[in-house]
Amino acid sequence: MVDVDELRSRYLNLEFARSNFVVPAGNAATLARLAGETRAQYIDPDHPDFEVFPAYLASLSAGRHLPIDFPSLGGIPVDGGKAVACILPVPAGVALNGRTHLHDIYAKSGRSGRMVFLVSRMEIFDQENTLLALSDSRMVIRERGTA
Amino acid sequence: MTIQSMADLEFGMEFGPWTPNTALASASAAANAVGWTNAARFSNHEGARQEGHPGALVPGILGMGFLCALIHREMPAARIENVDTVFRAPLVADQPCTVTAVITDIDVAKHRAELDLHIKNAKGETRIFGTATISMPT
Repeated sequence: MVDVDELRSRYLNLEFARSNFVVPAGNAATLARLAGETRAQYIDPDHPDFEVFPAYLASLSAGRHLPIDFPSLGGIPVDGGKAVACILPVPAGVALNGRTHLHDIYAKSGRSGRMVFLVSRMEIFDQENTLLALSDSRMVIRERGTA
Repeated sequence: MTIQSMADLEFGMEFGPWTPNTALASASAAANAVGWTNAARFSNHEGARQEGHPGALVPGILGMGFLCALIHREMPAARIENVDTVFRAPLVADQPCTVTAVITDIDVAKHRAELDLHIKNAKGETRIFGTATISMPT
């Protein structure tokens, strides 16, 4: 059984990925419309206050969720959920920078064994280095051999 | 009743149920919009079943989008500060679901309110749940 406290001490809050990207306004608006969003600032790229739909921001943290040297926990990771904190409006069509670290590691035990939860957090900055949003991805791994 | 300000909010106030579009074409288009273009699990029922899913899935981010959309539909003046979702079980495309929300806390001084959010399938089973913090004008 993996030592969660050791994982926390070794990996929490250490940036392990950095990426530059641009959110296409049309794509963000498409997702918002498909979700049933009605507010113009999310569905109309020509709106003067257009900003990226929060759920689109959640997609940005998908991809490499773990540091390259993070140990295998045996089970297959499952997408357990996502969270977004909207600090300032995130503009589309401009260069953004995402910096990712492991924000939390914890375990829960149940009848079918222990589940380990890994929360990776992407901090989204603009070119002036202003923090605009946080995008968390929660992975769940069922440990093998613990049932 | 459309909520326009903090004064309109009451503890325990419920929103929905609202039935969003879970059609396969919509789920697939949502996956494409965020760049997940080669994922059979979002675009093809048979392909998804071959991967062990009960059918093509509604992407979790689209589920989060349903929750955000309900908040904005019911409270046009609200700004979502945080939204946190737990993907409890798959939401299957082409199967109806309902989205609901309830106010669980109101902080008038900070112009904020908290909500519990649920997406349930036709059997009433929770597939996605979460919380949100919104800010509103007074």
